[in-house]
Amino acid sequence: MTARAERPPGIEPGLGPATRELLLALADDDFVLGFADSEWTGIAPHLEEDVAMSSMAQDELGHASAYYRLLADLVSDDPDRIAYDRPAEAFRHNRLVDHGRGDWARTMVRRWLYDTANAIRLEALAESTSRPLAELVVKVRREESYHLLHGEAWLDRLARHRGEPRRRLVEAIELVGPDAPSVLTALPSEAVLIDSGIQPVPGADLLARWSARIEPVLAGLGLSLPAASPAALDPDTARSGHGAAFNRLWTEFSSVRALDPEATW
Amino acid sequence: MTDPLALDPVLPERERSRLPFNEDRPHDDRYRAFEDHVLAGGKVEAGDWMPDEYRTSVLRFVEMHANSELMGVLPERDWILRAPTLRRKLALTAKIQDEVGHAQLLYRVAEDLGKPREAMIDDLLAGRTKFHNVFHYPTRTWADIGVIAWLVDAAAIVAQQALRDSSYAPYARTMKKICWEESVHIMHGRDVVVTLAEGTPEQRAMVQEALDRWWPPLMQMHGPRSEREKDRDLHWRIKAKTSEELRQEFLTIYVPRVLELGLSLPDPELHLDAAAGQWRYTEPDWAELRSVVTGHGPASEARIRFRRVQREESRWVRETILVAGGAAA
Amino acid sequence: MLPQDETAAAGGNLEPFEVFRQEREGDPMRHGGSVVAPDPTLALHYAREMYARRGESLRLWVVRRADIVELDDKDLLNPPLDRSYKKPGGFVMRDKLARARERTGQAKRTASSGRPAPTGEGDSR
Repeated sequence: MTARAERPPGIEPGLGPATRELLLALADDDFVLGFADSEWTGIAPHLEEDVAMSSMAQDELGHASAYYRLLADLVSDDPDRIAYDRPAEAFRHNRLVDHGRGDWARTMVRRWLYDTANAIRLEALAESTSRPLAELVVKVRREESYHLLHGEAWLDRLARHRGEPRRRLVEAIELVGPDAPSVLTALPSEAVLIDSGIQPVPGADLLARWSARIEPVLAGLGLSLPAASPAALDPDTARSGHGAAFNRLWTEFSSVRALDPEATW
Repeated sequence: MTDPLALDPVLPERERSRLPFNEDRPHDDRYRAFEDHVLAGGKVEAGDWMPDEYRTSVLRFVEMHANSELMGVLPERDWILRAPTLRRKLALTAKIQDEVGHAQLLYRVAEDLGKPREAMIDDLLAGRTKFHNVFHYPTRTWADIGVIAWLVDAAAIVAQQALRDSSYAPYARTMKKICWEESVHIMHGRDVVVTLAEGTPEQRAMVQEALDRWWPPLMQMHGPRSEREKDRDLHWRIKAKTSEELRQEFLTIYVPRVLELGLSLPDPELHLDAAAGQWRYTEPDWAELRSVVTGHGPASEARIRFRRVQREESRWVRETILVAGGAAA
Repeated sequence: MLPQDETAAAGGNLEPFEVFRQEREGDPMRHGGSVVAPDPTLALHYAREMYARRGESLRLWVVRRADIVELDDKDLLNPPLDRSYKKPGGFVMRDKLARARERTGQAKRTASSGRPAPTGEGDSR
């Protein structure tokens, strides 16, 4: 810790590619989930819930913007260009958020799985040797605490209501659950990130911590997480090979900008 | 009982007792007392006694306002995914979220007048109640998002500001909160329009085309001129201004702001008659307005159909978890 | 006056909760509006969204409408008989004070009216 603390703030030159990979993963996860969830704005099951859901989507997009900003400073680019002007296959979001938003049960359980995993990841990154990243993560975590409360409230209600809510919840867990670990799966360049302390805890440890935290909650509701899919645990596939839902999202969100990528919008 | 006036000047002049229309009296007495109270600038709360005519008028007025907020979400919602920068995306999502929030606030006011929310949505989707004309039109380009957030919201805010003094106090209070939020939308919309007007020739053409398309519905939005004396909503002080007063106010503030961007408005007759202090304009197409608000606008059917589908898809949530004690069922 | 609960419930099922908010430190809690929810937990979430999503509240109180006890009878709140002895304006001593000042030779004069000028405490009525 002491040796690391003496390093200058910011990111060391040799760490560029690995750090970019980490920031892009953090940013793309929140960006894609924020985009998918923002689609509920105006059509959620209850007006009050609609406003709540939209806030959470906006929070994710706000977090994504902040990560893109860090990345843009690192590579002397513009956050919007990074976010919008990449081909779909260049996105590095995880397999869990790659699913479409589905029905309310899927949206809620996906949120809860993501929020709990993200909380574990951010808890570790708050100790990052990259000071700008650590400082940002501290702020993001304060905003995420509300998401966890909301997600848990819904998981609980869906699980306890026998009949359609529970049936839909179980279906959703079976569909997206196997991909949930991909949030924490080691990045291809994890060794460099660990060595420099930019990522203080390896993915495998994060996964273990996450399981320890969520399994008792699920068990308390008579639920369990299905086995992880091999693709979700493989560093080379956890954040690539996106599906149809994301490709539709990408086509939509890049459509206006594609009219003239050089123009100011 | 002691005559309060006898104690003057210690006691104020006004009667120290319950509002007379809340007392158990013959209907006509109550009606007169209520009317005197309202016409003197008095406020009415949700639990107060009120004549059926008043309750019905407020409910109809607020319900249409709520419907308009709810349906007004849809034209812009189509563009949530397409917003071209991170900041625009956030601003647009937050703006649409506010519209949903306004629908909630207004449906709450209406619910407290005795009509359940689901019944109001039923009536809306069955075409039995209306929503504002501007939300019956399609959005074709990104520039529409700027024009709607700036000018449609501006036209709405002119009307809503005049409602902050409504005799129906829960509505007036809600208007204060809504006006505060709408002021942000106008800035967002104006920023989109100014950015496009200052952009490439294609962007400029895009915003001019949107303005040309939206101007006629905007001119219709406040409705045809009406006689002040015959307007019952004015009589009951539910609202304070006539359609034409609102339209004039809108033109006075916003026509110069559009023109200063080098954009034009598609009405050769539009000008300020300085002598009369009135804007002159080509008579809006009132037949179009009537047709559009009765569900025959270019996007009316698609919007209603979309709402119906979405409502069915989330019905299970409302019928299981979103009921009192639902979590325990 | 609170609306009757029979007519207040949304969709006949959800419960109204009233929301009170504090805008700035030291301010009183003020009524903001209401939300409808199936239970207090979700009501709190909804109150946060409806009345604090722009950071406009420091604190919220969320109360089941049914739990509010209301009093709005003006005869009970503003009884008609004299309560002026409970208020500063109920004590009329202008003339007595003037006589006292006259007697003690302390009468102050204003330039224009020649009437006793008010002192810093605003004592003359």
